[in-house]
Amino acid sequence: MAVKDKLKTDLFPTIWCPGCGIGLIMQQLATVMDELGLDKNNTVLVTGIGCTGRMGAYMNFESVYTLHGRTLPVAEAIKMVRPELHVLVVSGDGDLASIGGNHLLHSIRRNPNITVLCNNNEIYGLTGGQTGPTTPQGTSTISSPAGATYTPINLQGVVNTNPNAYYAKTTVYHQGPMRKAIREAIEWPGFSFVDIASQCIENNGRRIGFASANDMLQHYRTTYKAAPPGSTHLEPHQTGIVKGQPLSVAGSARSGNGSGE
Amino acid sequence: MTKRLVQGNEAVLLGAIKAGAAHFAGYPISPSSEILAQASVYAASHPEFRFLQEEDEIASANAILGASLAGAKSFTATSGPGFSLMQEAIGYGHKVGIPCVIVNVMRVGPATGMPTMPGQGDLNQARYGSTGDYTSFVFYPSTVAECYEYTIQAFNAAEESRSPVILLSDAFLGHLNEVADLDAIDVPVVPRTLEPLASGGTRLFSGVATYPDGEPATADADEFIRQYNESRDHRIKVAEKYAFYEYGWNKESETLVIAFGITRRIAQPLAAHFALFRPIRIWPTLDRELTEIAARYKKIIVIEGSDGQYANVVERMLLRRVERVPLLGGRMSLEAVREGLARIGMLPAEPAPSDSGSPARVG
Repeated sequence: MAVKDKLKTDLFPTIWCPGCGIGLIMQQLATVMDELGLDKNNTVLVTGIGCTGRMGAYMNFESVYTLHGRTLPVAEAIKMVRPELHVLVVSGDGDLASIGGNHLLHSIRRNPNITVLCNNNEIYGLTGGQTGPTTPQGTSTISSPAGATYTPINLQGVVNTNPNAYYAKTTVYHQGPMRKAIREAIEWPGFSFVDIASQCIENNGRRIGFASANDMLQHYRTTYKAAPPGSTHLEPHQTGIVKGQPLSVAGSARSGNGSGE
Repeated sequence: MTKRLVQGNEAVLLGAIKAGAAHFAGYPISPSSEILAQASVYAASHPEFRFLQEEDEIASANAILGASLAGAKSFTATSGPGFSLMQEAIGYGHKVGIPCVIVNVMRVGPATGMPTMPGQGDLNQARYGSTGDYTSFVFYPSTVAECYEYTIQAFNAAEESRSPVILLSDAFLGHLNEVADLDAIDVPVVPRTLEPLASGGTRLFSGVATYPDGEPATADADEFIRQYNESRDHRIKVAEKYAFYEYGWNKESETLVIAFGITRRIAQPLAAHFALFRPIRIWPTLDRELTEIAARYKKIIVIEGSDGQYANVVERMLLRRVERVPLLGGRMSLEAVREGLARIGMLPAEPAPSDSGSPARVG
């Protein structure tokens, strides 16, 4: 099998805007799925409303494009009925952390053996660029012209309310670390969450002063630094992984897998 | 053959198990909570039956959609406010074509309303609660034995129609204990109709309008209408196999009483004076059957636990005025029925002797 077999390339080009970061996530996800032997007989994708949710349509897997905010209850139920399957959630920060925030709090508490990839572009992109739950304070958006008012949600803190969860912060610029985080997350026996900073040039970046998607990628390159090995907490603009105490999960499709490397 | 006391809510759970349900997700809400609690007890000794008490009704409804796609017959149980929270998911189930069952044990609304008092005010919500056009499937039993029977039928109709099916109940019926022999109720079970997820295909299940290949069809009216007509026609065709109703009492009367669910039981002492039509399939409405029967009667009275939700349906269907006896605020009693009949000048001169006959059924 090759990576491109994981993709419905006949549907390309995608509907994502030129310069969007989502394709960079899809590419690394497809690579990891190929490496780990994830295929249409053992894996289901669950995606949420937002630009990111379209990913399910472009991959050679069965996928469920849920209502806005509802990826986690759907994914958890699929895993409950079919524990042998890999269940991957791919969605955006608005879907997962705002309208789906209550499910995030409680799904984490139950520690289902599912993996969440969060395309975190700090904006509601699909609807044109409104303030989202992750928008940094002070950022000008079309629904906060004088700057976003409130503290962004602390995704790391929310995920780490579960002492057995896996949390990784990475960016689409850092392709190698992102691939490693996705792979480890899929192999993690329990709830895993990969928080991926990703650019939305069309409906966010240009408004806040970036000339191009490449400028945003360069911003990730210079702004984000790897956390020291063994960090138990990531500071803002640190990339890295915070692992809880792994639990062995009954019926896990992943418990027999090897290490992340 | 075992006769025993069974509660309405318990009969719903037993019917679901009989129908092959393998997944329940729910959130506590009176007067439906016995279904949740007893499902948890059942799951403890039957690991193949998956149970999850969710964080809210939104999660519950979406979970049963996911479970059904994954291959399990699935259901949830709630009451009016929780049913409101489930409406978006119900629309998703209709759009995508997902069999599942939602039990709504009705109380008095709107909002938190009167949480332990019986009502029948969710008929419109069961039909029109979600956004857009769709073909609702709704059953409403009248006895504990029927709670069992029509739960099985609800699962069957869900499989055949490939859509969410609503089973209505009410606070009286859900908490009613009756002697029933559930083993004697023999309803053939329709097997699963939906190929489970990860069966080697690459299907996209999407609430967004899409072409069969997964590409967005969000601005194509022809494709939308084609898919809509296809699902509507299929569901109406399936509904014909589930045209459940009761027609009885004094058919020689000049007046037809329409009552359903617990209200039919409350009105039982009037049996000598009126004919009875009891829809069991509330939606789609029983147009052919009711039109034919109603033509034989000079007057029609709708007795119901709402301010005319079903009476409005009947008037629109028959294009004639009907008399109304609304039972509001949980005041669902024979006295309230008699007062309502007196208000419209339809109270029989002599109270009829109590008739304890159990409902018959046609269809």
